[in-house]
Amino acid sequence: MSERSGFGRRRFLGTTGAALLGGVAGCSNLPGTGSDTGGEFTWDTATFRGSGPIVSGRPAPGGTSIRDLPALEGALTLYLGGGEGGLYVDLLNILRKIYPDLTLNVRTDSSSSHAQTIVQEFEAQSTKADVFLSIDAGSLGYVADNGAARNLSSDVRSMVARDHFKTNNWVGVEGRARTIPFNTNSIAASDLPQDVMSIPDQPSLASTMGWAPTYGAFQAFITAMRITAGEDATRQWLSDMLDAGVSRYPDEFLVSNAVADGEVAAGFANHYYALRVQNARPDAPIDLAFTSNDAGALVNVSGAEVIKGTKNPDLAENFVRHLLSSEAQEFFATRTFGYPMVSDVAPVGGLPTIDELDPPEFDLTKLANVSPTLDLMRDVGVL
Amino acid sequence: MANDTLEQLAEQTTAGAESDSRLPVGLTLLAASVAVLVVLPLLWLLDRASMVGVQRALTLLTSTDNLGVLVNSVGLVAAVTLGGVLLGVPLAVLTVQTDLPFRRFWTIASALPLVVPSYIGAFSYVSAFGPRGELADLLAPLGVDRIPSIYGFHGAALVLVLYTYPYVFLTTRAALLSFDATLVEAARTLNHSRWQAFRRITLPQITPGITAGALLVALYTLSDFGTPAIMQFEVFTQQIYVNYRAFGGRDLAALFSLQLVAVTLVILAVESRIGASQRGAYVSRGARRPGEIELGRWKGPALLFAATVTVFCLVVPLAVLLLWLTWENPGYASGALAFSWEYGWNSVLVSAAAAIVCILGALPVAYLSARSESWLATIIDRATYVGYAAPGVVVGFSLLYFGVTYAPILYQTTLILVFAYVVRFLPQALGTARSSLLQVDPKLVEAARTLGHRPTTAFRKVVLPLIMPGVAAGAALVFLTTMKELPATLMLRPTGFDTFVTYIWRVRGSGHYGRAAFPALVLVVISGLSMLVILARERYDVG
Repeated sequence: MSERSGFGRRRFLGTTGAALLGGVAGCSNLPGTGSDTGGEFTWDTATFRGSGPIVSGRPAPGGTSIRDLPALEGALTLYLGGGEGGLYVDLLNILRKIYPDLTLNVRTDSSSSHAQTIVQEFEAQSTKADVFLSIDAGSLGYVADNGAARNLSSDVRSMVARDHFKTNNWVGVEGRARTIPFNTNSIAASDLPQDVMSIPDQPSLASTMGWAPTYGAFQAFITAMRITAGEDATRQWLSDMLDAGVSRYPDEFLVSNAVADGEVAAGFANHYYALRVQNARPDAPIDLAFTSNDAGALVNVSGAEVIKGTKNPDLAENFVRHLLSSEAQEFFATRTFGYPMVSDVAPVGGLPTIDELDPPEFDLTKLANVSPTLDLMRDVGVL
Repeated sequence: MANDTLEQLAEQTTAGAESDSRLPVGLTLLAASVAVLVVLPLLWLLDRASMVGVQRALTLLTSTDNLGVLVNSVGLVAAVTLGGVLLGVPLAVLTVQTDLPFRRFWTIASALPLVVPSYIGAFSYVSAFGPRGELADLLAPLGVDRIPSIYGFHGAALVLVLYTYPYVFLTTRAALLSFDATLVEAARTLNHSRWQAFRRITLPQITPGITAGALLVALYTLSDFGTPAIMQFEVFTQQIYVNYRAFGGRDLAALFSLQLVAVTLVILAVESRIGASQRGAYVSRGARRPGEIELGRWKGPALLFAATVTVFCLVVPLAVLLLWLTWENPGYASGALAFSWEYGWNSVLVSAAAAIVCILGALPVAYLSARSESWLATIIDRATYVGYAAPGVVVGFSLLYFGVTYAPILYQTTLILVFAYVVRFLPQALGTARSSLLQVDPKLVEAARTLGHRPTTAFRKVVLPLIMPGVAAGAALVFLTTMKELPATLMLRPTGFDTFVTYIWRVRGSGHYGRAAFPALVLVVISGLSMLVILARERYDVG
């Protein structure tokens, strides 16, 4: 599998860089094809869609259109976890333009910070957030486990295709895969094992990998490893990685950057960070490898939940439905390179489909249980 | 921190004045409530830390993790302090005692790095000397494909030395200027070499000045959040922020905060001890200026030294910022990173509010402490200096906990943000207000009273006009310092509320440096203005 999808990714990476450069003008003058000069804002699918060769010619997205959903009106406070690149904010800005009567207050921070804050606020009965939109299912699970998330109606949950990516309390809005970004000048794809557990044993990777152990997505990956491979194997893996020599970065965008710079030959990061690097530097020698059916191939999701104590639950739920609309799903697929959660919206370009990815069977909510993971990581001396 | 400590230093030089022993009840109550309010964040911090539980606290405190951070913090403070002395003292000697060409220019240039907020210095250093920075680009064609990483201990230490050594420079300079040069001449006539005379006469005389500056450097280094955060070096401030945001890390963040306050208090205690025993030792008493030392063949190396420091402190960051200005903003960076003038307006708004509240809080405390030497007045006065012991990230942590738990109505409002600024910067307003009040002759008030004015009227008609310039300077200082404040703003700002500083931080996090150029330059200019305020007030001799 890795050979085939490796080729597909390479092609994908190359064309994406060009596509994004081509799309610069469109993105910076949001909305691309919309116009609000005459008072009423007009829009269509292209308003949400990125532009460029790999996106052009896409079929119209299926699913539920925004036009079929009730209008968003009123004030909504959104805790946005981990949307550092601001791409989510672009989607929110389009929604603001479509709905002049919608007031969106957005607070950005790391997902883990927001999750703890939401629970803290809930317990003190000073809930501020109506909706929590998090890039990390573990954070959504943490809030739900602490009883701070409302149950979602079946209207919302039925929009998400696979049971993998929804619970009673939250729905995934786009997926992200754990990957091994590697520098194509330093090593070949064949140097990378299919099995994430054997990475520390690869002599070609010794002293030349990068990771971001304080980063939420990495901690989620280790949590998955702890649950799927067991605590002892994980402890061994972490300490073997340390022994083999691994460079530490504050986040996975910087890990991917370091890979592209050749500071390290390979790293651990979510797939879209490599695409962002490529996006900024089309010639960067970076490619992605996937492991199979283990924690290294985990597909995490960005998701949303409605917070208990919200004064406007209907608006909050309707907002979550908007995130699963055809247009928003098209946005995620073409602008953030995520995997759509709605089956009638396809992922872009050469990106392997979610079926091809071979992620482990894994209850994403279990990612919330990071405390033992952190203890383990501290124990080994990683944190 | 930069300005408050300098302010505190300046204030130590102010002479005492007459006082009476009776405490006016209303004034005392007012001053006491200000003191209680600003001390509260430390109590909330204790409250939060007490939730950790003794067993878990002991485990966390003795973990290698915690000890590593403690060692890193102390190590960074030691290295930066030493570095600051090694740069600051020679520069002070060169500009005061030698025939260094363009002495006046080097004096100003050597003090000027104080105007660059250290996080902006760190930011530009990462851009210039980072793995894919300008230097790497420059060297790439020469076959150098890799430069040593700027991140970590040495990067943090380098940047902090460059932007804090002026404290040592200024205090040492003041000591050198005040010291009686005839002593050196006497030593010379007794057959001492220049070096012997320096070591046996000059050095002991200026040591208190050097120590005072070194302690300011130590305090600044300990409390600075931006530089270690950018340089990814794990010290208390950086770890408080990181752990606050990581799962299960808030207990540890609370313990780190307590330890940071404790270490700061130790340094403050050392400082007040030295300050008390050496008070005035490095203050100008109209002493005779020493004769100039002729540098001779050392002129070249001395010039090179001064020029190198200036290049690294000022030319590099300014060049980087100006370079950023010319970068095209990448369009794909999305709307979330677009600059808005609203950020500037927000900065001005909260800073002005902080300045006004600080003045209102400082006046009763300053008036009380200037007019009374009772133990109560002293306690109230000391308590309001809590801002020196509580770095911004600690105040932010404490107020977040307080807001969520006890004051949902204040939580995530500008009110709590302004309160954080007041806790941090009240000492600045206090320093200027008190030194102005001390200069008001109490007989003027008495005269007003004998003319039939009530105490409040006398204060308004006589005292207030006299202290207005000092009060205004204090307000300006608070305003300008608040504009630059990073960690508390980052943690406490209301939802959707961005300032210059939070914008720069956000842009930095996403790697789109070009967008930070304009607000960063604005902040440098603002810091420059706050330097002017300090210099104008203290009439530093830059001759």
